[in-house]
Amino acid sequence: MRNPLSAKPLSVEPQSVKPVATGNRTVRIVVLVLVAVVLLLAPLNLPPFANQTLVRIGVYAVAVLGLNIVMGYTGQVNLGQIFFVGLGAYVTAYGVKQGWNILLVFVLACLIAGVVGLLVALAAARLGGLAIAMVTIALPIVGVPLAKRLEGFTGGSQGISARFTDAPDWSGLYNDQWQYYIILLVTAAGFLLARNLVRGKYGRAFGVVKENEAVAASMGVSPYRTKVLAFTVASIFGGASGFLYLAAVQYTSPETLSFGHSISLLAAMVIGGAGSIAGSLIGGAYYVLVPLLTNAVDPGLTTVSQGAILLIVLFLLPEGLVSLPRVLRRITGRNRDRPGAPQRTVPAPAPGAGSEKQADQHQTEHQAIPDQTDQQQTIQHQTGRQDQA
Amino acid sequence: MGTFIQLVVDGLSTGSIYAALALAIVLVNQATGLINFAQGGLAVLSGYVAYAFVQAGLPLVVAIILAVALSFVLGALAERFLVRRFERGDPDTAVVVTIGLLTLITGIIAVIWSYNNLGFPSLFPLTSVDILGAVVSVRSLATTVTIVVIMVVLQLLFLRTKLGLALRAVADSPASSALSGLPVGRLLMVGWGLAAALGAVAGVLVAPQLTLTPGMLDTALVYALAAVILGGLSSPIGCVVAAWAIGVLENLVAVYVPFIGHDLKIAVPFALIFVILILRPQGLFGRKVVVRV
Repeated sequence: MRNPLSAKPLSVEPQSVKPVATGNRTVRIVVLVLVAVVLLLAPLNLPPFANQTLVRIGVYAVAVLGLNIVMGYTGQVNLGQIFFVGLGAYVTAYGVKQGWNILLVFVLACLIAGVVGLLVALAAARLGGLAIAMVTIALPIVGVPLAKRLEGFTGGSQGISARFTDAPDWSGLYNDQWQYYIILLVTAAGFLLARNLVRGKYGRAFGVVKENEAVAASMGVSPYRTKVLAFTVASIFGGASGFLYLAAVQYTSPETLSFGHSISLLAAMVIGGAGSIAGSLIGGAYYVLVPLLTNAVDPGLTTVSQGAILLIVLFLLPEGLVSLPRVLRRITGRNRDRPGAPQRTVPAPAPGAGSEKQADQHQTEHQAIPDQTDQQQTIQHQTGRQDQA
Repeated sequence: MGTFIQLVVDGLSTGSIYAALALAIVLVNQATGLINFAQGGLAVLSGYVAYAFVQAGLPLVVAIILAVALSFVLGALAERFLVRRFERGDPDTAVVVTIGLLTLITGIIAVIWSYNNLGFPSLFPLTSVDILGAVVSVRSLATTVTIVVIMVVLQLLFLRTKLGLALRAVADSPASSALSGLPVGRLLMVGWGLAAALGAVAGVLVAPQLTLTPGMLDTALVYALAAVILGGLSSPIGCVVAAWAIGVLENLVAVYVPFIGHDLKIAVPFALIFVILILRPQGLFGRKVVVRV
């Protein structure tokens, strides 16, 4: 009974993909500390524009992370994530205007987005795959005219601005540095929470519901409740991202929650790596950096180059940028004997794949790594466990 | 009463555009199990291609026929060289591939023709006729009739021809079709080609009204998706009926319910979807899918 659950983390853990994870614990801790130090010191030495870019990456990484929880991990297509980002931004703007305590505003931004997400999910999760996509597509589509209509709350088409992230005097920081630290704090906390969530009991429930709802139900995991939970968590992350958005941009308008942005978020998630925490961060970076890059090259070609980049990345790396090290290792390290890494070269099973598909995937797994007896044994071990499922 | 009839006929006409796109989406979905977000983009491209032919001095009808034929080829090529690679993989990735295709097409159009609106000549006369005291535009009527004719032709193709039978077989089970000797890959290309051609018809029908812009059909695509879900993914007729219902309903609501008005009328189909899906999750006309474990 526990087998499919225990097999799952092997394929979803992004950390295990990184080379550092194959080393011992000390190396890992040293690397983590190094990363933390770099992240903490970076804004003091970077120009404001670089800091603002990093800040925006953090903002969208949180939104992509939420989307990843409901879509990448739980397999429920969500086309409305940007609605919750916009909702969080509007709640934040309103709260700041009213002069409420900023912590209260943050909690409210997450809470209101979460409650709305819960209500939507209670209805949407009753429906099968594509119907959820349709209900969620409605959120930004209806959200934009609604935001224009509710002028008293949202400022109508003009939008609403609120400043609350100017650096206080005692800190001696510039505004962009202060914003960076706020966003670093919230983003880091969000990623840590999400990582623990998807690695724990609920993460495994998400995985089973994604693979096969009937199996989930037979194991006592309610698909309905799991989907509602995943959707609500995603909405809360959306709300938090909206709070961060306002902290960074200090202005929001109906344009913030337009359908096009929602689609871009979805693309960013898949590009980064569906079902991967690290992939969410890469997705956030993709969302912010690629338009910057294509604009710098030639503003007239922005759209066409964005489309081309998206397709090229998916062609080369269908599992997203996060699978790049794995794919590189599969290409270069085929003949090298590295006993530490065998299971990690196994591609994640295609979600929604029926038993037939899984069967021929196992075949390709065997073909992918020939003539390495110890690796093959490990793989057989793993696939054996999947077969029992 | 006059206004009412006018609103209904106009609603049917816009609904017909949604219906054509919705049919295209159903075609692709039946064949490959995907929702093609680029369907609208492909249709807009066909509109521009027809425009280019008209500019080159061809008569409008010839230009449109050529554009529709080219769309068929383009759709088939898109299936073969772009989507094929992702059909067996993660469905999320495949959906994002179609989003990438949409972005790419929009970008290409913008590079060639810019974002400025271009006028497109209408295939039908812009006069109006009197029906029961209501002024009804000939274009609206003709658009609706065109879609009905296409629907009937498609239905005949699927139910009465060998090609249609093969297409249905592939949609039903690619594996069994391949075992019975059907060229599954080529049939999938035909399915995508047909869908693109259908979208092209929608594109050239709606272009005179909206004027050509790269994002001309973005809203229509959303309505078409709504119609697809409402009608049920497995039912072409259901989709068309749903698309008409959406077109008519939103027109009526925008005028007769002041609180909703023209800005919020897009919420109407979705409110409808919400209610209907909760009462009838398989859509109005769809079959309930039973999955074996």
